Parts: sequence; structure tokens; C-alpha cells
Amino acid sequence: MYKDVTITINGEEYQEHIPVRLLLVDFIRDVAGLTGTHVGCTYEGVCGACTIQIDSEAVKSCLMLAVQADGHEVATVEGLAQDGKLHPLQEEFNEHHALQCGYCTPGILMNAEEFLKENPDPSEDEIREALIGNLCRCTGYVNIVTAIKSAAEKMA
Amino acid sequence: MTDTEAGKGWLGRKLKRKEDYRLTTGKGNFIGDIQLPGMLHLVFVRSLHAHAKIVNIDTSAAEELKGVVAVIAGKQLAEEILLMPQPIVVPNIPANHPTFGPLAIGKVKFHGEPVAAIVARDKYVAEDAAELVMVDYEMLPYVGDMEAALAPDATRVHEQFDDNIQYESSLTGGEEIADQEANDVRVAKIFEEADLVVKRRYRCHRCGVTPMEPRGVVADWDHAEGLSAWITTQRPHIDRLALSDILSIPAEQVRVMAPRDQGGAFGTKAPFYREPILICHMARKLGRPVRWIESREEHLMSISQERDQIHDLEIAARSDGRILALRDRIIADGGDGCEGVYWGYLMPFLGAVLLPSGYDIPNCDIKLKVAFTNKAVLSPARSFGSYPARFAMERAMHTVARELGLEPTAVQRMNLVTEFPYTTATGFNYDSGNFIKVLDNLVEKIDLTGFRREQEEARKQGRYLGIGFGLGAEASGMASEVLVQMENQPGYGAAMVRVDPRGKVQVCDGDCSQGQGHETTVAQVVAHEMGISPDDVKHSQGDTDNTPFGCGTIGARAGSYKLSAVAQACRHIKEKMSRIAAHDFSVSAKPEDFDFIDGEIIYRKDTNIRTTFAELAYRIVMTPLDLPEGEEAGLEHTAYFEAAMPMICFAAHAAIVEVDATTGQFEIKRYMTSEDMGRVINPQIVDGQITGGVVQGISNCIFEEFVYDDTGQQLTSTLENYKLATAADVPHVEVTHAPTPCPYTPLGSRGIGEGVPGPVPGALSNAVTDALEPLGVEITELPLRPNVIWKLIQQNRQAAE
Amino acid sequence: MYPSVIDNYVRPKSVDEAIAAIVDGGEDAMFIAGGMSLMQAIKSRLVSPSCLVDLQDVSEIKGISSDDTGLRIGAMTRYREMANADKLRGAYGALVDAAAHVGDRQVRNRGTIGGSLCWNYIAACTPAACLGIGASVELVSRTGAKRTLVADDFLGSPLETAREDNEILVAVTLPTPEPNTGSAYKKWGLVADALPVVGVAVLVQTDAAGICLRARVAFSGLGDGPCRSAAAEQVLIGARADETSKIGEAFEAAAAELEVQADMWADEDYRRLLMRELGKEVTATAFNRAETGS
Ligand SMILES: Cc1cc2nc3c(=O)[nH]c(=O)nc-3n(C[C@H](O)[C@H](O)[C@H](O)COP(=O)(O)OP(=O)(O)OC[C@H]3O[C@@H](n4cnc5c(N)ncnc54)[C@H](O)[C@@H]3O)c2cc1C
Ligand code: FES
Ligand code: FES
Repeated sequence: MYKDVTITINGEEYQEHIPVRLLLVDFIRDVAGLTGTHVGCTYEGVCGACTIQIDSEAVKSCLMLAVQADGHEVATVEGLAQDGKLHPLQEEFNEHHALQCGYCTPGILMNAEEFLKENPDPSEDEIREALIGNLCRCTGYVNIVTAIKSAAEKMA
Repeated sequence: MTDTEAGKGWLGRKLKRKEDYRLTTGKGNFIGDIQLPGMLHLVFVRSLHAHAKIVNIDTSAAEELKGVVAVIAGKQLAEEILLMPQPIVVPNIPANHPTFGPLAIGKVKFHGEPVAAIVARDKYVAEDAAELVMVDYEMLPYVGDMEAALAPDATRVHEQFDDNIQYESSLTGGEEIADQEANDVRVAKIFEEADLVVKRRYRCHRCGVTPMEPRGVVADWDHAEGLSAWITTQRPHIDRLALSDILSIPAEQVRVMAPRDQGGAFGTKAPFYREPILICHMARKLGRPVRWIESREEHLMSISQERDQIHDLEIAARSDGRILALRDRIIADGGDGCEGVYWGYLMPFLGAVLLPSGYDIPNCDIKLKVAFTNKAVLSPARSFGSYPARFAMERAMHTVARELGLEPTAVQRMNLVTEFPYTTATGFNYDSGNFIKVLDNLVEKIDLTGFRREQEEARKQGRYLGIGFGLGAEASGMASEVLVQMENQPGYGAAMVRVDPRGKVQVCDGDCSQGQGHETTVAQVVAHEMGISPDDVKHSQGDTDNTPFGCGTIGARAGSYKLSAVAQACRHIKEKMSRIAAHDFSVSAKPEDFDFIDGEIIYRKDTNIRTTFAELAYRIVMTPLDLPEGEEAGLEHTAYFEAAMPMICFAAHAAIVEVDATTGQFEIKRYMTSEDMGRVINPQIVDGQITGGVVQGISNCIFEEFVYDDTGQQLTSTLENYKLATAADVPHVEVTHAPTPCPYTPLGSRGIGEGVPGPVPGALSNAVTDALEPLGVEITELPLRPNVIWKLIQQNRQAAE
Repeated sequence: MYPSVIDNYVRPKSVDEAIAAIVDGGEDAMFIAGGMSLMQAIKSRLVSPSCLVDLQDVSEIKGISSDDTGLRIGAMTRYREMANADKLRGAYGALVDAAAHVGDRQVRNRGTIGGSLCWNYIAACTPAACLGIGASVELVSRTGAKRTLVADDFLGSPLETAREDNEILVAVTLPTPEPNTGSAYKKWGLVADALPVVGVAVLVQTDAAGICLRARVAFSGLGDGPCRSAAAEQVLIGARADETSKIGEAFEAAAAELEVQADMWADEDYRRLLMRELGKEVTATAFNRAETGS
């Protein structure tokens, strides 16, 4: 019923004794207390608000058990800014008003961060495709697309 | 920011939002982030059936599970608290407001109704226990069709009423029945004599604007202080009064707080729902903090369902396109009607009031009936009630134009209201604006003439391009005059502004933002008024303990009402500062002789006479010596802004589509809006409201639909089945502006945002109809699904053959 | 929303260990691969495994390799890798098409071909694509015995397969492609990259003149699960890429032959239409790939 795990989140190691059934998203939010990662689904895993990275790949943390992340590196939105300096994506989201309520934002940032590594110079259509796993109800996506494009240019 | 930019000029500026830093770094503070020591978790057991008698509820196995603290069902709860309705959340409108409690009593009335609740130390264990609750049901006939439900012999949803008619009235002809009848006769006569009568049945489906963050409540009880509750809400002050009444707790012992951040609402967080009542009650009963976080499934089963209306709409027109009369028989499926403030019928009611849109149609006969059914109650969704009305009206206008061989925008234009203020036949006020300018701007920017040429070329190649326009005159906040009657609460905007000794400004109000960026726009208004930097303004809201009464963040009120109150409060404080400055400088100056610019207060007639905003603030707050006679200490003011009349904002939308006639699938090639939001405080924020609202409207129109099967099982309670548009499904929405400042607000601003999705179904379905005109296809039903369009094409082809 | 109690979780390093673990785990033990279907089922409490055997560290069943007999795709190969696999282009392009549009990029970062085939969801892309390209699956049982089944024999009704309890799917195998072979897959759903309302996979092998010698046609999204249409294949044989009406007939034959259901996404007629329209498009792509090899 319980397992010992070692999960590194944003470079910090968490050694915990946890129920096998504990969802990774609850480990992140409730055990590590990193509440930037959000939940928007019951079980379907469609909204993407819980998107984090495992070993630098974007995944939905509501569709994983914490035990599956044992021994892996997790990155969440809290780790995106480095040494107090915002990531270009964070800056461009602010610059272009790519968020309103901000509930979807952490998941989008974590997905986009990996996406831009894979495709540093994406077209608008490619960005829109890359966002399929992240629903946003406030913005109509227009400014999110602009912000990601602009971050790509800044990072080039 | 350069120095000269400071001072005036903060309005209309694309200021970056103050909220974004925390929200992009994971430091937001949402309901799910609130943790209290010893907090318990509440999980609901919800009905598996749409209509059934509860024969027995066995909670013994659940109670025995380790970690379970309490289990409660409806009957027991009814002995512990009062039931709804409570007067504070009942509109002053004659309608049937059913009796209900947070948990079903005796029978269930929709699939998903709460039946019992578990409180446990761990949320996983609470769900384990919920599975162990055994409910015996005895099935009752499902009432699922709104028209059948209205029949006199239909099975009743609520035994306490004689039938399933929740609300019925005429929106036109006055209060007296005799006057209404006379009006109907007059309108009928116009129809008899008109050159053209268009009559159609328009059907809008059940859909809504489910926000990304579902609801939640964290409640705490302290024997001395009473109840503290964090609730995802658009109106904490109303929640407080309602909780006080229904839980019989003196109001001073109830504190409601909206979390600092909320993940969208769009109307869904405006009602006084049943769930918070139970969470708060259990916190009191157990003397421990209790939390409930709504699952997406609960959310999709019980709230954010709206728009379910049928319009039998008729238009009488002259051969030149002038509309002579409008008749509509509207029915709405209000679900079980159990919901504080809105009760399922208030959305269709307002939709009917707004039906004439921006058109000048003095002769109207509009009647509405709202039926009780075994579905979830309708709850507010942005474009409150008016989305279906706009669909019906704009489709009908297009049809009138085409039957007369006219360009639809010509007919729309010819019938727009041009003189203000204007009162519609339904009694709704249009304060000001220039509707024609808004439409002309759109027609020009989308290049209608150029498009018609392109369309003709395309048709020659067998391609089906179409353009459609949808208009909407939307409420821009509502005055007390309307809200007292409609929602039993005031409509003023209220704000407390306080200048601290360091010259920083704090603003508090009783509303709450769910993404609208109030912290930023409030700071801009204060900066504009006080001549200081927005960085020196701190805004907080949503805590009933320390904010003036606010009727809530509803109906696009912020731009029109709240910001006006902020401006008024600032002006009041400025006057005081000016009086004291005049006194201190020994000049005999009137308050308007001082300019507040760049953090300084400057005597206009001798600019050497000046002081800084911060110095004067310190002088007044900290050294209240030698004040002018009669002047009080302190720099603080709460202002209430009440509009002279209800205000509106007008918008026009255009869509260009290409339909694949083989499959009925279509692509939105362009989507453009033209907006009048008066004087804009922050263009980026306003445009964001529009692109977001348009995409919600598109998503509603094409993808989203709440589906109930023949037995009332709700089949769309996951995001896999209740489909929201993804980024890849929608076009880049283009926003254009044709503003006319509002003369009735101190800043000339209008509230915008609430009604944005309204014109979308008209624009889209008119575009598809226009594209398929050569095939004779006419859209009268939503959603606009390829399957349906394809079928219409097939039917028309068969009919032609 | 939350899983029921799970007693145990193990992470074997090899196929042998995995089999031992699933046997040890008892009757209600389950493998977990990407978890993209299983976690939905666990969270909705549709299934309540007592023990999860996580295959993430079984490296011998990851990745795509080839030898002179053909291609081998390890069961734990993710959509992400298949979507970018040059080895699969052309003849087995259907699998690339399917993998590239499963769900979203987060799902493709975890979901695997093995998991998808073993789950065999009613509206799943990979099973139909595998049927379409004539893939086989390799299973290893508790005794270590290996058996190979063609996809047609492996895939059953929705959520059913020929896999025995305790059997592990180790690889999907594909014969070295014949020359002039191409395949493609496309689906339609209400929103972008959603589960297919209908999906169609087509493989064609042509002679030098571009005439179809061999065809395979498979569908996803139909009520009986992934299935082939013999009738459609029959009509396609002998067809050329430009014979669009004949190709259309092939899919009309499929629509007539197969059981087609109505649901809230599409009525029966519209599903049949989708079969035909997607079929024509996919066949054109398959012919093109047969000709160009990519
Ligand atoms: C948001 C979302 C969208 C999706 N969209 C699509 C889509 O468009 N098209 C589509 O086809 N699918 C879609 N899926 C499902 C996805 O393809 C799954 O990844 C896939 O069905 C299962 O693969 P998995 O590796 O995740 O397997 P898991 O979920 O881990 O396992 C599935 C089943 O297979 C068993 N299993 C796994 N591996 C093995 C093995 N090697 N041997 C024996 N048994 C095994 C497990 O015990 C389990 O019963 C979607 C899923 C999500 C969450
Ligand atoms: S919570 Fe919605 S995808 Fe994870
Ligand atoms: S900003 Fe609110 S959901 Fe995206």
C-alpha cells in the first residue's frame, strides 16, 4: 500500500513514504506543496492544467501515479524562472497578455517550454497543434500563440 | 516608463498586468491551494438517475470506514438547517421557486443531484466511502422534453406545484393583461398587412462556459468568531447574507472570502449554489475546517448548462427591408430550477428582454415560458440568456434580407437604433452609442464588397464560401433599477480608496476578479486620477470583512460601475487634498486649480507652488495639525456609483467560412469583430475579453453540447465528451474598434465582456447559410455540426431532384 | 477521481522479471505502460488493480529496430518515437500518421504502441493502423513461451484481445516492405486530434505501372472495434490512383459490409460518408507513398 520514493522536483530531492495510489499531481501539490500545477479534469486527462515535465518531457501529472516518478526529475512551473530571472515564455506571456485567470497557464508554459526545444522556430499552425493538450477558456488562444512565437524569437 | 509618461495618460494604455507575475510563476492563490490545519474533505454522493424516489439510503458501511468523520443525507440535513428558497436570493419576479436543500429529500430530480455527503480526513478515503453508500431508488418517469413538460398532464418535477411551468409571461405590452392583449392584436394586424412575413423555429442547444477551474469551498468555524468561508464566487457579499439566513448564523459572524485568484467563471460562479451551504454547515457541526473541491464531472453534471431555448420567431417586414414587427414564442428548459438567485428562468427572461438586440422594432409581441424538467438547472453563462436570442434574431434578419433579395448587412443597418437614449419594446434601455458606425467599420474592414467578388469566383469553381454577420447590444452592467427587481440586490458599483501616509493607494472592493485583470485596471484608474504610478496602487477585493458591499463581478460591471466608483472615490480624496494644499500654501484656490501629475500636486496659477503627493499624504494622515476648519483627519473614501440609466455596449461580428459540401465540414477562414466599449482603460485587457468570448461562442456553437439520453442520463460529464475548442480548432480572432465614449460614466468607459459570445452563433450560422445558399440550405438549429449541415445538404439535393 | 487502494507497485527491469512480477501480483495485477488509458480507468475506478507492474524500465522492449526479416517495434515504444520514425515512412506510413495525431503531445510523450494494442479501445488509432499495415504482435507467456499473432487474430471486440492474463506483449513486427508499397491513416473527430469518430488505414502495393496488386483496408471508430473490410480490399485490387470513382466504390462496399453505429458524434449515414471520404483521401496518400517511397 505504501512505497518509499525519491522524486526530484525542480532540483530538490523529496524522499517520501507514500501510498501507491497517490497521483503525481497530488504529490506535487500536497506533499511538495507546489501548488502552481493545477487540476481541471476528473479522470479524463484532457485539460492539460496539470502539465509538468518528467526528465524534460511534458506530461500530464494527473495521469501518473507518484510512484511512477520515483527516481525521475520533475520540473514544474515554480522552477521555470532561474535565479530570479523569468523565462522568456513567462515574460512574453505577460507582455502579450496571454493569460487571464491564469489557471491554464502553468501547464501551457511547461508544455511550450519543451515544445520550443523541439521546434525553436514554429509557425502559428505548429504552435496551435502543440497546444491541443492544453485547454484555455479565457483567452481564445490568440495571445498565447503570439506570446509563444515571440518567446521563440527571443530565445533564438 | 519615462517620467513624462507618468501622471495623466494611464488610461487607454497597454499596461502589463500586475497579476501576471504570480500567475506565471506558480504563485497564484486559488481555492485548491488553501490549506488549513486539520482540514477535512467532503465528497458528494450524487444521483445515478434523473427522476427517482429515494427509498432508502444505507450509509453504515461508509461510516465504518477508517478515516471517515461524518456521513450525512438529505432527511437528516433538513432537520439541521433551513431550506431554500431564502428571500435574499429570490428575485422580485413572479415565478415558482422550488423548495430544496443541499442534499435531495425524498426524490432526485436530475442525474447528478447530491444525495449524500462524506466527510473524511483524506480525500481518497472520502471517495472510497462514497462508493460504499447504498441508495435504493424507485424510478419515476423522466421529464426531459421541455414542450412535453409543459402539457397539463405531464409528470410533475416538483409536486409542490400544479404543473411544470416555472415562469410564464409577456415581455411586451405592459404589466396589465388587457394592455398586453391589445398589444398582441395591434402586432397581429401589422403581420397581416406586411409585405413579407418570415416565420421559423430556432433551436439553441444546451451548452455553457465551463471555466477551467471548477468550484470549491473551504469553510472554518470558530465558536467565538463564527464562520469563515472561502468560496469560488462572483459575489461574496450575497453569499454571506444567504449563508447567514439559511444557516441561521448572525450576519456579523459570517465572513466570506473569494480566493485571490479564481480560474475563470463567466457567470458560473454567480449563483448561490447548494453545495457551499453544506460545506459551511458541516464545518460548524464538526467544529473543524472542511473543504470541497468540485470535480470536473460534478461541474459538468450540475452547473454551467445554459442556452436551452426554442424560439418560434416571426418577423413582419416591408419590401425595402424595414422591420415592422416581431413576434416570438420562447420556451426554455430550465431544468429542476433549484439554484439561488437565478432559479433557471432568469437567463431566458433576460434573453427575451434583450431579444430586439440593437434594432428599432417598436412593435413586438414576445412571450416566454420556462419549463421544469429533470435536468440540471440552467445556470448563468456569459451572454446570459441572450446567446439563443441573438441566434434566432440574427438568423431571422438574414433570412428577411435574402427573401427580399437584399444584402443582409443592409437590412441590419437600416433597422439599427440611431437615437439615444432608446427604450426597447421589452423595456430595456440603450443609453448611448453609434451602432451604425460599429457595423460600417466592420463591413469596411472585412471588405464585404471584395468578399462578394471572391465568393462569386469561388462559386464558379464549385467552392462554397460564405460570410455572416451577427450583432448584439449587450448590457454593460445593470443599475439598481433593474437589479433590485431582477436579482433582489443593488446595482451600484462600490469602492473604498485609501491613501496611506507614504502616498501609496489602497483600493478595496467587494467584487472579485476571475481573470478580468481588475488589479491592473483599478491601478490605471487611480494612477490617472491621482497622477501617481500604477505601481503605487494596491488593490484587494472579495473579503466581506473589509470591503464595501458589492453586488458582484457579474454582467460586465467592472468597466462601467466599479471603475466609476474608484474614479469617484479618488476625486473625492483629491478635493480634500486640494483644500488642504490651498490652506497650507495660503492661496485661495478651488480644488480644480490643482493638477495631480507625476506624483506632484501643482497649483496651476503659480506652478512654483507645488508639493509631492506623498508629502501631502503624510502631512494629512500623520500630522493632522492646523487643518482647515471643519476638515477631518485621514484620506479615505468609499464611493458608490449608481448609473443614471442602464448602459450597454454594442458589437458586430463577421465570420467568413468555407464549407465542404461533400462532408458538411467547414473552416472559419476569418473572424472579425467591431466593438464599442466606450473609452478603453486597457486595450490589451479589453481585446483579450473579446477574443476569449468569441472563442467561447465558437466552441459553444460547434463543439459543445450537454447530451441527455432518453432516460435522462447525462452523457457529457467529461471533457472527452463535452468538447471544448482547442487552439487548433479556432481561427485567429481579429478585433477592431469603433468607440463612442459613454456620457454616463465619469471616465466614459463601458463595461464589456459579458455579452461577447452573443453575436457569434448569428455570424457563424449566417456564414454557413450564405455559403450554402446555392444549395438552399438554411440553418435553424445549433450546434452547427458537420453531420447536421451535411444532412441538410442531402435533404435539399433530394428535394431538388 | 482518485484511484482505489493499490496494494503493490513493482518496476521490473526485464521481460522475465515482468512476467514473474505479474504472476506474483496475483489475479488483479496489471501492467502499466504509458498509463494513458489505464490511468483513466483506474481513476474512474473502472478497474482496481491490486498490483501495478510498471514496464518503464524494461529497456529490451523499447525502440524500433530492423533486420533482414523486417521491422520490430518494441511494445514500450512511444507515439512520440513512432511519429518521428523514418524507418516507418512509406510502406508503414499509416503508423506514423496515427501516432502523430494521437491525443496531444503530452499523451504522445507517454502512450505506447503496446498499451494501445492491449487496451484496444473502441475509438483507437493504433489498432486500426496495425490491422491496415498487416502487423503482427509477439507475446511472451509465464512459461517464457513466445507466440506471434497477426493483428487480425490479436485484436477482438473493443477492450478485448487474444492476450492471456500474464502474457506480455513484447513487440509489434512488420515484414520487410515489398517494393512499391505505401500506407496511410487519417481520422475525423469533432475537435483536432480527438479520438476518431471514424479512422481509416489503407495499405496498397502496386506494380510498376501503378496498379494495385495488394490492398489492406481497416477502420477505427466502428462499434465492433477495429476491423478490416474484405469487400473494400477486393475492389481496390486492380485500381489505379486516378480511378477515384472506383476507389469511392471500395469504401461504399466497406460501408455496406460493416456494422456502422450511430452515437452522439455522428449518425450512421454520416459515419458511412466519413468512411468513404476519408477512405478516398487516405488511399490517394497510400498510392502516392507507394510510388514515391516516402
Ligand atoms: C487525452 C487523451 C487523448 C487520447 N487520444 C487518443 C487518440 O486520439 N487516439 C488513440 O488511439 N488513443 C488516444 N488516447 C489513448 C492513448 O492512445 C493510450 O496511450 C493508449 O490507448 C494506451 O497506451 P499506454 O501505453 O498509455 O497504455 P496503458 O494505459 O499503460 O495500458 C493500457 C492497457 O494495456 C496493458 N498493457 C500495456 N502494455 C502492455 C504490454 N506490453 N503487455 C501487456 N499488456 C500491456 C495495460 O495493462 C492496460 O490494460 C488518448 C488518451 C488520452 C489520455
Ligand atoms: S487535470 Fe486535466 S489533464 Fe490533468
Ligand atoms: S487564462 Fe483562464 S483558462 Fe487560460
